[in-house]
This record gives sequence, structure tokens and C-alpha cells, in this order.
Amino acid sequence: MGVASANTYIHRESVIHDWSPRLKLISLGLLMFAFATVQQLALVPWMLGLAALLYGLSRLPVSFLRQRLSYPGLFILAVVLLLPLTVGETVVAQWGWLALREEGLRATGLIVGRFLSILTLGFILLGTTPFLTLLGAMRSLGLPTLLADMTLLSYRYLFEIAAMLATMQQAMRLRGFGHSHQRWLRVNRHTMQQLAMLTGNLLIRSYEQSERVYKAMRLRGYGQSRQVAPTPTITSPLSLHNWALTGAVLVAAAGLVLAEMRLA
Amino acid sequence: MHIPDGILPAQVCAAGYAVTGVATWYSLRQINRRPDPAAEVPKASLLTAAFFVASSIYIPVPPASVHLILNGLLGVVLGYFAFPAILIGLFFQALVIGHGGLTTLGVNATMMGVPALLAYHIFQTRNILGKMLPEPTRTGVFAFLGGSLGLGIAALIFLALIVFNIPAELNAGAEQAAVLTLSVGHIPLAIVEGVFTAMLVLFLRRVKPELLEG
Repeated sequence: MGVASANTYIHRESVIHDWSPRLKLISLGLLMFAFATVQQLALVPWMLGLAALLYGLSRLPVSFLRQRLSYPGLFILAVVLLLPLTVGETVVAQWGWLALREEGLRATGLIVGRFLSILTLGFILLGTTPFLTLLGAMRSLGLPTLLADMTLLSYRYLFEIAAMLATMQQAMRLRGFGHSHQRWLRVNRHTMQQLAMLTGNLLIRSYEQSERVYKAMRLRGYGQSRQVAPTPTITSPLSLHNWALTGAVLVAAAGLVLAEMRLA
Repeated sequence: MHIPDGILPAQVCAAGYAVTGVATWYSLRQINRRPDPAAEVPKASLLTAAFFVASSIYIPVPPASVHLILNGLLGVVLGYFAFPAILIGLFFQALVIGHGGLTTLGVNATMMGVPALLAYHIFQTRNILGKMLPEPTRTGVFAFLGGSLGLGIAALIFLALIVFNIPAELNAGAEQAAVLTLSVGHIPLAIVEGVFTAMLVLFLRRVKPELLEG
């Protein structure tokens, strides 16, 4: 799955990899929101440039971004195909009933620019921080314990459950599922029933596994130590480049918001 | 039906996070009132992972196939754990496959999670409102309502967000046509989701009824 492939690049060396996870999360999160405020087309190249600069600093390969953009790329394709042909009244070019409109092109540039920039920051975050470290950073920023525990456990069993589903689906196919003729414009009740039972079995197996997991966790003291204060950990002071990078990203975020307010 | 990054203005994204914060706080408050909330964490977590995986199952609805949202079913099975489960599932989707977004995580969680909580309450009222119906029809009918309304309400929130945030230059006629097409298009999907939820809940009732205790 995606997280597993992202972990391939986590042990590289770059200033973004060395950035304190907590500061990275706060800075990139604020920069994402600053990108979301952009409504002026003139700011789009700046936004894309900032995202590209941070991606370059992270030293992640371009293939990583290209591979991960394949799924959300469908959204970009839909926007590019739809908006320039339907939005606005100023016709730039016309082929029969098809008209390319200026307002639509501007809206497309804005939406695609924001989308690509924010998505790139998300992939930088995932590509340079191990998932568990990211969760630890969120926990230290106030994520409730129950949510953190649920996220951790869901992540831990996600791959096992996905493998379980793949095995069950293969077993179904080997028994002839999916080989019957599908009638045009008609939902096959029997097929739906079988898929509902497949999903139900997946839930039951996960539930039964959760009971075993809970017993193992109880034996290790889970749920008993809520009142115990966490052991203080000795943390080394953050290096200058951590603060410099955080400061630069926050200044860039503030600059974008101010420029947006000025141009609006 | 996830709203990706870059579509909504920052104010709407921030409002989405605010509603998600309140809904998460409310859900956690209800969960912590239970006798042993820690005991339910592994069950809710593994079912969250299972729902995340199960949402990749495609249902053939000729001439295409659709993947189900399952937010109504999540509400029916997980109760107040449904909102945190949806939040976590959407976080995984945004981070892992770039589906949805990190700035729109709050909006998407509100869109899917609030109807899931409603679906839970609808399903819980089956023993009060559905007294005249015999079992298992009662469970089936209320599971159908939970599943279809879960998706239906989520679709309405999605359409409202799109209508209020589409480019101002789009002419009113095109806007009305697009909204009407999307609304009508979601009706069969809500029915399919409701039927699938009812089938699955009836199966769980036969095989593992404790999963429906919410």
C-alpha cells in the first residue's frame, strides 16, 4: 500500500528529513492553509514554486510524486476538461458548439495550482516522516489518546486485513464468482448478497482478531496506566536549521496570505 | 464523493475542522461515559481498518460498478466510534492515496461522519418506532434506512458545498442542470447502499449479533 512505498524514502538525508516532526507538521499544515486562501491567479506560480522548492529540498525522487499523482490526477483531468468549456462568457476559441472560455481557464489554473501545491506538501510530509513519528508529533500537539490509539491500531492491522480480503476474494474467484453473465442495466441481487457476505465475513474476522488483540494488550497492561504520568524524556535542543526552516516557511505562508489580501 | 484539496476556500476548510472538532469531542465524551471505553478501542480500530479495506470492494451496478461509502453501516455497527473511525479512515486515504485532502479533511469528516451518527440513532430507534414490524424485517428496514440516509445526507452536504463554492462565473442554468443531475444520480446509489447495508446487517444478525450492539 501507499504508506509502505512512502517508507522507502524516509531514511534519505535532507534538511526536510532532519526537520523536527512537530515543527514540520505545524509549518507545512499552515502553509497548506495559506495555499488554500489563494484566489488570485498571479499567486499560483509563487505557490507552485514554493511547493517545488520544498520538494527539491526533501530530495525525494520525482517518480515518487508522479506515481502518487496518478490517482488524484483523475480529478485534475475532470477539472481541465470541464471548467474551460462550461464556465464564463468570454470566448477565447471556438470549434463548432465547443467554446473555450477565459473565465473557465482562469478558474482551472487556480484550482489545479492549489490542488497540486497542497498535495505536494502532503506527500513531502508523508515521504520524509515515518508514520509512527508523525502520529507521535500529532499526539504531542494534543491529539486525544483514544484517537491516537485507534489510529495506531488501525494502521497496524490495515495491511493484514487487506491481505485477508485479497485471499477471500481469490477464494471466491476460484469457486466461480464473477464468471456469471451480467445482464445490462440490472443489479444482480445474488451477486450483491455474496458481496455483502464477503464484507460481513471480513468484519467478523476483524472483530474476532480484535478480541485476541485486546486480551494480549490487557496482559501487557493496556487500560491500567491512564493515571500514571508519562516518563519525562530528555530531548536535545533543536538545531538552528530547524528554526530557520520553520521561520522561512511561516514567513512564506504569511506572505502569501498578505499578498492575497492586497491583491483581492 | 470526497472533496479534494484546492476546491474549497480556506474559511470553509477551517469551518469543517471546527465542526469535526466538536463532533469528535461529543463522540469521545459519549464513549468515555461507557463502563470500560479502553475495552472497545481494539474492536473499533480493527473494524475501522476493515471498513477502510471494504470500501475498495466494487458492486456491479450495470453499466458500471460503484464502490460503497459505507458511512451508514459504520454508524450502525460502531455507534459513537463511527465519527473517529471515519476521521481516521479519511486521514489514511488523504495520506496514502491522495484521495480527499488534508486541508479538506475536516469538511469530508463532517460530510461523512455526521450522517453516520444519524444512521446510528436511526438504527437504535428500531425497537421503539418499528414495534409493529416483526423481526428480522424490522432490523432490515432500519438498516436500509440507516445505510441509504447515511449516503443520502452525505450527498446533500456534498452538493450544498459544491453549489455554494463553485465559480461565480458558471451560469445559473448550467448550475441548476449540474446539481439536478448529481442529485438524481445519487438516488439509485443511496438505494444500492441501503440494500447492501440491510443485507450485511441481516447477515451479521444471524452470524455475529454482538457486532450490532453499537
